[in-house]
Amino acid sequence: MEAIIHNLGIGFGVALSIQNLLYCLLGVLLGTLIGVLPGIGPIATIAMLLPVTFTLNPTSALIMLAGIYYGAQYGGSTTAILVNIPGESSSVVTCLDGYQMARQGRAGPALGIAAIGSFFAGCVSTLIIALFAPPLAEVALKFGPAEYFSLMVLGLVAATVLAHGSLIKAIAMVIFGLLLGLVGTDVNSGVARFSFGISELSDGIGFVSVAMGVFGFAEIISNLEQKEKREIFTKKVTNLLPTLQDFKDSWGAILRGTMLGSALGILPGGGALLASFAAYTLEKKVSKNSANFGKGAIQGVAAPESANNAGAQTSFIPLLTLGIPSNPVMALMIGAMMIQGIAPGPQVMTERPQLFWGMIASMWIGNLMLVILNLPLIGMWIKLLTVPYRILYPSILVFCCIGVYSISNSPFDVMQTAVMGVVGYVFVKLECEPAPLILGFILGPLMEENLRRAMLLSRGDPLVFFQRPISLAMLCIATFLLFIVLAPAVRKKREEAFVEA
Amino acid sequence: MKIANGKDFWAGLMFTAFGLGFMIIAQDYAMGTAVRMGPAYFPTALGGILAVLGGVILFRSFVSKIENPLKVFPFRWWAVVAGLILGAVAYYTQSLDKMGVTGEIAHTLLAGAAILLLFSAFGDRSLWVVLFSVVIFGYVLKPLGLVAAIVMLVFVSAWGGHEFKVKEAAIMSAVLAVFSVLSFVHGLGLPMNVWPSLWE
Repeated sequence: MEAIIHNLGIGFGVALSIQNLLYCLLGVLLGTLIGVLPGIGPIATIAMLLPVTFTLNPTSALIMLAGIYYGAQYGGSTTAILVNIPGESSSVVTCLDGYQMARQGRAGPALGIAAIGSFFAGCVSTLIIALFAPPLAEVALKFGPAEYFSLMVLGLVAATVLAHGSLIKAIAMVIFGLLLGLVGTDVNSGVARFSFGISELSDGIGFVSVAMGVFGFAEIISNLEQKEKREIFTKKVTNLLPTLQDFKDSWGAILRGTMLGSALGILPGGGALLASFAAYTLEKKVSKNSANFGKGAIQGVAAPESANNAGAQTSFIPLLTLGIPSNPVMALMIGAMMIQGIAPGPQVMTERPQLFWGMIASMWIGNLMLVILNLPLIGMWIKLLTVPYRILYPSILVFCCIGVYSISNSPFDVMQTAVMGVVGYVFVKLECEPAPLILGFILGPLMEENLRRAMLLSRGDPLVFFQRPISLAMLCIATFLLFIVLAPAVRKKREEAFVEA
Repeated sequence: MKIANGKDFWAGLMFTAFGLGFMIIAQDYAMGTAVRMGPAYFPTALGGILAVLGGVILFRSFVSKIENPLKVFPFRWWAVVAGLILGAVAYYTQSLDKMGVTGEIAHTLLAGAAILLLFSAFGDRSLWVVLFSVVIFGYVLKPLGLVAAIVMLVFVSAWGGHEFKVKEAAIMSAVLAVFSVLSFVHGLGLPMNVWPSLWE
């Protein structure tokens, strides 16, 4: 306990410096902004800012990028409640009851409880990170290549199980991502693989290009294909403070949402999106009057909003301790760390305590800023929603293009991103979820490297993955996960869970 | 046999093609052994798995209960073929040195047309117009500078949407150009030309 207080002390010392406070503020502001705006998410934004973070020091850069992710969870609820469009994919379920509350003239309390629930969840999950990260990192230090390989298999399997839609397509997307990740020079032999003689490709396909093309550009284009229709309840937002009765109704939901969200965030493949879905379903099950859900039940806003914020934050745990991303945003954070020359993994905590604890402390500060900023400034965010998409997307494109171009100051990256945009659009059309692809993409080279090492150490005996206990356990969990999903009963439930929301 | 689910059909085809493609190309590299894996080992294995998965998805598209017509995904093979031919011509003519200015322009136009055709093979207007505006930005930035590149990007991409208003696009590009020059070039110090490089 004392060690944690000491460590958090270091963290707050770092996070409270003027510079880091400013970057934290910038991050949460940007996060709220893109959270409010439908059609641009944290993935595209972080991808856009990656090249820019090169000029910052690593701690400030990561504080800012983390702020964008959890800030987006706050902003997303505003749009969901007022416009019935999820500003962020993780606030899809908030639309159900939040929008109904707004129609009943209770937009204020809905926004209020969402912010309060998020803040509570933010505080709890910050503590959870501080408590659980150090022991987990200690375990991770004992991992050999076999364990790492099995861990990645587990992470990828979990990511496919938790993805929307068809399981087999999700697995295919993971494999496709792994293959795309292998493009470029092979470290062991120096052969430029799959580069077609294009010198730029011998460094591999740019991670930013893949993320921005598949998530950013493809999303803009599919948004353009749908005509926009919005009904905004802007005038009805008065009295943001929920009543005492509202608090009584929702404190249980906030607590359950926070716990469930924190647990699901840690899981590989988890994060904000899954957390909010699960919390809503749980709340509906637990509630005595579940008939109210979908008709403006305040629990239906409180639970998923707490859960998505908790999940967004605890998904940093596998990243910070194991160096394994649990969702595409975390994959981008790995990208950001590598740009700064930091190898993600358990050694980050011991070698760079300032960075590690500074980032954790900044999350709590960022959450405080979000509550203070969001409630009074809600009018400003609502104004933003009246900006039509036809004005928004060229601006988004300009910033994306400048970001991509500045990676290496060459038109090649821009071209590459456009091509990935086509690919991403095709994925959308064919109902192939892109999130598993991006995880595979970042893990491809790591997985090959660890497979090679493990096989070299075992002299070519593939049984090594089953002989080492931790590795065996992880492979067993992975197999188990696949089996449950394939079991007919669960399969039906899984489809229902995604359809309901 | 009738194709029941068009989305699965195309997806299966895509995965199989990519899987086989990776496997075939990987044969140029050394395979190695299980103890010392060569550069071809892992890609070949993954490519094989992907091709098999693609095959299963393809098979499923014939027996699926979910009905999706084939044309949910507007794949135009003629645009791919034409784009590839133009692209190949552009690729093999770029090494001819003595082209002069007219030759260069003709070559650029040819390459541009090839890219446009390839993009348009996979979707409707907003796809290829928006992405082409991005490509234009990338290639115009160095010679013509940031301001001109932003103006072109905004105009072309705005034209790709449903409602295009010249006045709106003009205001937008002016605002974005000023903002970007101030924040990215002056603020963050990104090394970019603001004006065409001929002027400096």
